[in-house]
Amino acid sequence: MKILFVLLILFCHTSNAVSFKVSISTPQNTTLPNVVVYLIPNKAVNNPISEISIMDQVNQQFKPHILPIQTNTLVHFPNSDSIKHHVYSFSKAKKFELPLYKGSETDPLLFDKPGLIELGCNVHDWMLGYILVVDTPHFAQTNAEGVVEFDLPADKYKVKVWHPRIQDNPSHLEKAVTLKEDTHLQFKLMSELLPSHEEYEDNDEFSDYEF
Amino acid sequence: MKKRLLFILFSCFHFEIAAFELNGLIQANIAATDSLTNWQENGTGILRYDQDRAHLQHTFLDVTKELPSSFTLHTVLNAYQDGNQQLGFSQAELIYKPLSADTIKWQGRAGFFYPKLSLENVDTGWLSPYTYTQSAINSWIGEEQRTAGIEVTAYSPGRVRKSPWSWQIRFATFAGNDSLGALISWRGFAMHDRQSLYGDRVELAPYPSVINREGLWHPNWIEPFREIDDRLGVYVGAHLDYYTQTKFRYYYYDNLADPNALNQQRLYAWRTRYHSFAFQHRLSKQTRLISQYMTGSTEMGDNFVFVDYDAFYLMLSHRMNQHRVSLRYDRFIVHEDDTIPEDNNESNGYGITLAWRYNFTKQWQLGLEHHINRNTAVNRESLNIAQEQHQQQSLFVVQMKF
Repeated sequence: MKILFVLLILFCHTSNAVSFKVSISTPQNTTLPNVVVYLIPNKAVNNPISEISIMDQVNQQFKPHILPIQTNTLVHFPNSDSIKHHVYSFSKAKKFELPLYKGSETDPLLFDKPGLIELGCNVHDWMLGYILVVDTPHFAQTNAEGVVEFDLPADKYKVKVWHPRIQDNPSHLEKAVTLKEDTHLQFKLMSELLPSHEEYEDNDEFSDYEF
Repeated sequence: MKKRLLFILFSCFHFEIAAFELNGLIQANIAATDSLTNWQENGTGILRYDQDRAHLQHTFLDVTKELPSSFTLHTVLNAYQDGNQQLGFSQAELIYKPLSADTIKWQGRAGFFYPKLSLENVDTGWLSPYTYTQSAINSWIGEEQRTAGIEVTAYSPGRVRKSPWSWQIRFATFAGNDSLGALISWRGFAMHDRQSLYGDRVELAPYPSVINREGLWHPNWIEPFREIDDRLGVYVGAHLDYYTQTKFRYYYYDNLADPNALNQQRLYAWRTRYHSFAFQHRLSKQTRLISQYMTGSTEMGDNFVFVDYDAFYLMLSHRMNQHRVSLRYDRFIVHEDDTIPEDNNESNGYGITLAWRYNFTKQWQLGLEHHINRNTAVNRESLNIAQEQHQQQSLFVVQMKF
């Protein structure tokens, strides 16, 4: 009887899951990959400290450039380069500095407040990375086509998008949705994207790095 | 308790290891070169080697130690087979770079260091990753110039401002470096990679007009970092970068020396100033163009020696996987305009350097270089040596980095 009850609950739960697709396009109808899309449910979701995400240093760049995580996630900062890094943040959501010596390990840092954290390196001034801490388990980044898909329980959500190049009014980047069935939401950005400055990722092997 | 103590000891030891960064290099060559005796052996040749044999080209240990409160200690300890001083520091600096959220930041350093005017000497230990025989300009900087003082930098990384442009303004004041200019006045520009060490002495040919009592009565050597006149020098530098693709550096240097100051060794202070313009453009991921132009003057005594000098190089460097080929053209001119015609300091020349370097592992590198130059120095006549010399040098180099 008990087994039947559990199966019934699981069945009901599965039947309530919906597919939610979000597409993002620029004013010129081009696509933008790596946009963070996250859905905040009506009821707050507690996340115990368990997850570990990685923000690596590779070829004197942060990898990934944008790392979305859920609140209470531990982030490990390895150093895959053969030189020293000195990672720091002055962002309200997490202020820290972390010297990363060649070949050494550091303990992961806990990100327990939602918000945007801008990362820099005090040795390599051109390094820039972002950690976006969101208060929901429902988050992902757009693919090369500017699309992201979720499978999640039918419910009411607040959908938000973020990317460092998007400069639209924040109210335009937030939409309330009630998901009862498979849904496709399209965000058409109003403002021009900020320049990518991805040329900074083209690392010079002889950068004569400054202390 | 014992375990706890061991843990604490291990933690401290680990911290010490982690806080140190050690890098080292050993570079050895087999040279095939012409026999004109080089300046280090009191000759007038402008190449580092004058014998066909194996040489230890470079050995150094580069140590960086993190200190509290945003301070870093950085030293380079070199050992050489040639030259006057064979063990010593080529760089020793205390760097202060505080963390800052501002878009315009500042940093400083104090000690004994190179001004960052070269886009050629960008490898560890102020070496060039392109050729072994360096440009005439940076051969001179390496042998005769260092900042024994303090440097303050205001800088603004472009990426923080969401701009393609990054800039720096550097200002320094320093002691020593009073004999800067003597080498290029008497010997002329040279082409090599021997860096002078703290306390070093650089030899010269015994030019009669220099060493005779009836002449300038000066030793046929200089001590490049010696303080002679108790005056401070200054330089200001401006760096402008477009992304990581294009770099431009301008420096104005003036040691503000009193050219009439003379010490007990009969070493004069030389009033030396110059403008230096350096440029690098990466044409692609593999290929870059690097150039530098320097123009300046130096004076010793009451116009006993006064020369204007100009030097220039243009280098093209291309990388194919683990291979790098670099080709450089150098031109250098020293023109005198002083009151002692017997001490003729006219010299000039050009050089062409072609180098191939191959990283066959992360640690090991092989290289071949061929260099030719034509150089003229009028004062060679006083030593019964032909004014004009055609020199060439081939090097086979093995390098290990650790």
